[in-house]
Amino acid sequence: MNRKTIAGLMTAVVFIAACSDNFLTGGELSTDPNRPTQATSQQLFVGIQAATWALLASDPPRVTGLWAQQFKGGNIQYEAAYDYDISEQTTNGFHQSLYLGGGLVDIRKLEGQALAAHDSVFLGQAQVMEALVMGEGASMFGDLTYSHALKNELNAPLDKQLDIYDSVQVVLDAAISNLSKTGPTNFGAADADLAYGGDPAQWIKLAHTLKARFLMHTAEVRPTVYATVLAQSNQGLTSLADNFNAVFTGDANQQNFWYQFDVVQRPGYLLPDPQFIALLTSRNDPRLHQYFNADLSDLADSLIEPNHTQPLVTANENILLGAEAAQRTGDNATALAKLNTARALAGLPAESGITGQALLNEILLEEYIADFQNIEAWNLYKRTCTPNLTPTNPTAAVTGGKVPARFPYDAGERNTNTNIPQLGSQPKRNANDPANATSAGTGAACKGQ
Amino acid sequence: MQLRSSWNRLLTLIACCALPARVMAQGATITGTATGEGGAPLVGVTVSIAGMGLGSQTGADGKYSFTVPASRVTGQAVTLNARRVGYLPQNVLVTLTAGTITHDFAMVTTPLQLEQVIVTGAGTSQVRERIGSSISTVDTGQLVRAAQPQNLISALSATTPNVRVNTQSGEPGGSAFVIIRGATSVTGTNQPLIVVDNQPIDNSTISTNGGDGSTVTQNRAADINPNDVESVQVLKGAAASAIYGARASNGVILITTKRGNNGPTRWTISSTQTFDHVIKTFPLQTAFGQGTGGNPGTCTADDCSANSLSWGPALSGKPTFAHGTEIYDTGLTSDNAISVSGGNQRTTFYLSGGITDQLGVMKGPNNRYDRTTVRLSATHQLLNTLTFGGNFSYFNTRGDYVQKGSNTSGLLLGALRTPPDFNNQPFLDPNSGLQRSYRFPHPSPASVTSSRGYDNPFFTLDNPGNRSELGRFLGNIKADWVPTSWLSFSETFGADNYTDSRLESAPLSSSTDPVGFVTRYTINNLEIDHNLTATGSHSFNENIDTRLILGQNLNSRRYRDVYIFGDELIAPTPFAIQNTVSYTPTETKSLRHIAAYFAQAEGDFYNQFHVTAGLRDDGFSTFGSGHRTAVYPKVDAAWTFTQYVNHDYTSGKGWLTNGRLRAAYGETGREPPVYSTISALSSTSLFGSGFQDFIGPKQGGFGGLVTGGNVGNPDLQPERNREGEVGFDVGLFDSRGDFSFTYYNKKSSDVILPAPTNAASTGAQTGLVNGATISNKGIEISANARPYTSQKMDFTIGGNYAKNNGKVLSLLQGVQFIPYNNEGFTGSIGSSTVGYAPGVLRGQDFIRCGYGLSADVDGSGNEVAVDPLCNGAKKGALFIGGPNNRPIVNPDEQVIADPNPKWTAGLNAGFRYDKFQFSTLFDMRRGGQVWDGTRSALDRFGTAEETLVRTSNAGIFGQNVLPNEVVAGPGAGKPAFTTPNAWQTWFTGLGGSASSVQSQFVEDGSFVKWREVSLAYTFDNSYMRDRLGFSNAVIRLAGRNLHTWTKYKGLDPETNLGGAEFLTQGIDFFQNPQTRSFVVSVTLNR
Repeated sequence: MNRKTIAGLMTAVVFIAACSDNFLTGGELSTDPNRPTQATSQQLFVGIQAATWALLASDPPRVTGLWAQQFKGGNIQYEAAYDYDISEQTTNGFHQSLYLGGGLVDIRKLEGQALAAHDSVFLGQAQVMEALVMGEGASMFGDLTYSHALKNELNAPLDKQLDIYDSVQVVLDAAISNLSKTGPTNFGAADADLAYGGDPAQWIKLAHTLKARFLMHTAEVRPTVYATVLAQSNQGLTSLADNFNAVFTGDANQQNFWYQFDVVQRPGYLLPDPQFIALLTSRNDPRLHQYFNADLSDLADSLIEPNHTQPLVTANENILLGAEAAQRTGDNATALAKLNTARALAGLPAESGITGQALLNEILLEEYIADFQNIEAWNLYKRTCTPNLTPTNPTAAVTGGKVPARFPYDAGERNTNTNIPQLGSQPKRNANDPANATSAGTGAACKGQ
Repeated sequence: MQLRSSWNRLLTLIACCALPARVMAQGATITGTATGEGGAPLVGVTVSIAGMGLGSQTGADGKYSFTVPASRVTGQAVTLNARRVGYLPQNVLVTLTAGTITHDFAMVTTPLQLEQVIVTGAGTSQVRERIGSSISTVDTGQLVRAAQPQNLISALSATTPNVRVNTQSGEPGGSAFVIIRGATSVTGTNQPLIVVDNQPIDNSTISTNGGDGSTVTQNRAADINPNDVESVQVLKGAAASAIYGARASNGVILITTKRGNNGPTRWTISSTQTFDHVIKTFPLQTAFGQGTGGNPGTCTADDCSANSLSWGPALSGKPTFAHGTEIYDTGLTSDNAISVSGGNQRTTFYLSGGITDQLGVMKGPNNRYDRTTVRLSATHQLLNTLTFGGNFSYFNTRGDYVQKGSNTSGLLLGALRTPPDFNNQPFLDPNSGLQRSYRFPHPSPASVTSSRGYDNPFFTLDNPGNRSELGRFLGNIKADWVPTSWLSFSETFGADNYTDSRLESAPLSSSTDPVGFVTRYTINNLEIDHNLTATGSHSFNENIDTRLILGQNLNSRRYRDVYIFGDELIAPTPFAIQNTVSYTPTETKSLRHIAAYFAQAEGDFYNQFHVTAGLRDDGFSTFGSGHRTAVYPKVDAAWTFTQYVNHDYTSGKGWLTNGRLRAAYGETGREPPVYSTISALSSTSLFGSGFQDFIGPKQGGFGGLVTGGNVGNPDLQPERNREGEVGFDVGLFDSRGDFSFTYYNKKSSDVILPAPTNAASTGAQTGLVNGATISNKGIEISANARPYTSQKMDFTIGGNYAKNNGKVLSLLQGVQFIPYNNEGFTGSIGSSTVGYAPGVLRGQDFIRCGYGLSADVDGSGNEVAVDPLCNGAKKGALFIGGPNNRPIVNPDEQVIADPNPKWTAGLNAGFRYDKFQFSTLFDMRRGGQVWDGTRSALDRFGTAEETLVRTSNAGIFGQNVLPNEVVAGPGAGKPAFTTPNAWQTWFTGLGGSASSVQSQFVEDGSFVKWREVSLAYTFDNSYMRDRLGFSNAVIRLAGRNLHTWTKYKGLDPETNLGGAEFLTQGIDFFQNPQTRSFVVSVTLNR
């Protein structure tokens, strides 16, 4: 064969070799070596638990603490939030996190897996988490996508806030029913549940407390709920051991949020609010120094340990919800008894001889103080205008000079759903929270709503 | 390649045609002499008969000779052609008859280098004149004189139109961001493909802990020693870079390294010493001290927290400290290189080594970057038809860095916020030996793990725990086989392997993490590339030459990294993982393969019309399974019309000595990110807020998994750019000038973007989809003039100008912008927004006239329309309302800064007189806004010089606050601030970094920079040669970055916080400025 033919053949051989599709697929080329695609129910639960702790213990309670004037802003973004210079960034991603990994998408996955495995306890626990997340979300944002959630719809409509609260009640009822079932396949989260160790009875109590809490959120526009609130709270958390807590080990990525923020990331951003200090001082409340340090310049050292257990839903709150409900339905005696039970849990002496509006004021102030580091303090203020806070910035543009009554929707959600308007067009208050004319506690004209 | 293959073809023909001697004696022998300037004999001129494949080269005596065999001599007329790079080609008709034909050529120089063969990528090369697409050649002389010559990418600044370079800062080990013709993608950083000696190499920039804080990080192509670079071609347009298919959407930079040559052994030794200084420091006030509201904010007790602001009392006479300058001193860079090269007709070699030690301008030893490179390149001609070659380089770099940026342990953040009356020295308390800072001035021994608020800058400078060590091997083997005169094969097989080990740590008492942390990050990357081309050429007749190239490219990129974050130091040192209480490791792996085939056909007609058409079929493992391959075509044409305009052009005279029109169309692409077709769960998602307080899904000993925030898209295809360009190149006025113009229009479609998915609908925040379209249109002009050239002196001046209009035409339906949450800050966040080029900043602005806005203008709570109250002021005027005579926040987010410039230009001039060479370079940019976040923070803290306005009792918007604004409205012209406390409330609230309105700190970043001026003298007298053994020595003095003319108030309009890691440039937040340098350099050549 001559030189030219050899050359031609070699060209052909080289080009045909190594040109099969196998070079482009298979092994590490087609499978991601970095991420898993399957999870056990317990693994999902642990993730959901962490995300829920973030919602209830990371930025939202800090910002609501500024608005409820339990904290004062000490630097940059928190000074801005304290002065009601709020924007979509104030929300800090917590609108989307209701639905993202660890939020509703995984709660629904867990519910699906629990249903398929006939594990009613796990299903009930997941449903309690769903109610907690969506109920708290509704209190922060108002209308939210819920019935159309996670259906991959374009521009899914938002459910009205009150409808969400109603749905949450239905979910909690289902949860209570599921948690009550026994059976050989009912394992639940077991030890992965760091708050209760998987004990269904505790979860049932938590569910009742959440029913009470979220019903109370609607009380301003539905005054008939008080009786049910009382009934539910009677079946809820009663002792400190019943508290639903976030439990932190203190290791990397397992550290108490308040520690991380106040000690590591942004010291000086949160200062004790003078209004709150004055309130605690005037009541000789020992919690002044349980909450804050000796010179009242920062949080108390015990609260900012990396492994400090953070209460998220407390017996105090539950009992005081019952106390308020009792008072509002005319049963001052029960209300006083419950108030004193709650005060005893906080190490305070009992009160006596108060009734009517004064009793209500005591109950509300007691709950306001007990709900320190909790979004519920702000929810309480919104509902009752107690304590009667003076707005820090009467000329703030976004809130019209009033104490902020809701969080702006996340810009990412607004950008991808035409049903969510720009911040300037969003309502200033949620549907469950019309502006109070007077403070429920004192009867004086409400200054901040 | 062309010269060599002509020679080889000739030899092959003689070898295989074995004609008997008596036949040769009857052929036609063509011989003669080629002369150059002044009649001197010219070596290396190729004289050939087109279409017959016969020819020879002139030797040192200028003579050539070759014989046409008798069988091919028929008395026909043929064209005899003489060519040499740098000279105008010449053609003459001769009649072939038996016997000797003599023809002499007088060659005329042309600086246009039209005959130069340049590399065009993927193993192909072409004569410059025949290329119809836009390829720029960078003058490598300018590279070594550039402002940051250690970083090859940085050195490209201002050398070529539309190759825009931003150097991160003047610190050693900073990255260079380069954009060719505008961004074509909204994900990724749009950096071009870098190819060295026909082998693609890695140019990624990966920071250890995030581009907004952390330290500077090098871009990987900066490992190459610029002294080793022979030539750089930039393939700018899609037609030129289509040969690289889906890796070339942002252009390609082709680097060819130096080779040895046949001839005596030569060597070069050079040593360059550079002295660097900071050009500009931030103007700070020294009149008011630490405190707030006019009251002192210092404290004296142990472990007390002092006030963070400088709104305290007037200092009047107390000692003050220059915090802006006390952290800097003179930096020194020492660059030494040696090379030896040589060879004979069959073997050549080039051996070089270089050591660069760069000590930066910050005080202390912890800002340095050292690089050592060793390289060997060799070729050997095994057979007459087969040549092997190899290039092997080893690079070793070591760096020590200082924390920067948005980082409470960052250098400038601590330094510039310090009140003028606080002495940062000593940085350790004399009693306890622990760090003291202005917010924590009296540390007791119990405060070892307490935050200092912001770190003392000297403490930051003293931290030795931020280092990198890299070892990189780059090597390839080439084989060229030319079995017949019309067929050749070329194979390049290369590997690029590096291991980059990083350490980043914070000591005890660091503000960013008072218990300390240690991060260990090791990156390992291996890229293997095989590129085989077969080229067949055929001449149909003497006027038509064609060539067909077929190629195969296989590539594998394997990436591995391990990241370990150790939290809480046990003992203060060492900074090692085992010295931490708990550590969290993560690892990332990826593997990508490419299998591609390409074909290119070229035709050259009548030596005046050239056409190229090509196709590349790219198969990538990262494409979605439904679209595993993509085809990228190209076509270009060039027409040299000189002979129709100037009949005498071969003499090199006339007003138009060369004229060429060209047009090109091509398509390139970009692959999707790896594994983006796969949805998965995540064990590393973090839950928390933007303040970095996070917990992970693993709690209390139980591991958790959650749905990942990104949903995978199995239908993902590569992006596609379609670009058309037209242009012309002319040589003018006896070749004394040349001018080039190109217009291009590039449309990018199927651009991959993380579509923000509605979390409520999908449970994910983002999913990648093909959907965006981006347009880039612009022009490029370059012009050079050589008004005077003679033996003794010459003068050249050149310039380039480029304009690129980039615009995101659409993202997704209903989506106006994509945010880049890790690029920028709340109030000034990077993004790609419809209607602007990719990479713009978004935030809030104040209410302005002319936009139909409404606002609460009088504090009553009622919103009214603003425009009727503007009293006819121009659109965009700042609305000042009552009752405080202040602007009003517009809560709607919008684009506040566009860092992309309107046009860029470079100007260079050179003057040579005898042995002196003078040159200078200017770099210009018009447009391009920068957000001065540093100034916004320093206004808030009261340390900026402009806060001295606090003494004014009439603060009026448009006059002494926001003075560049045109104001209108009921409060315009009336005082808003009358007391220092009112000023403080403004600057610490809406007027500083706490404000959601960051648009007030966006400034015009236009600049003219005097990049370089240098003077060199060459010693080449016989004393040097005879006594000292070198043929010449060059001594050069230069200054770099001498001056910047700009209106930008911050440190440097070019600096960017994230370097080459961010698409969004134009963010200034406490990073270090560029430096000015004085250079002394000595080079000895033999």
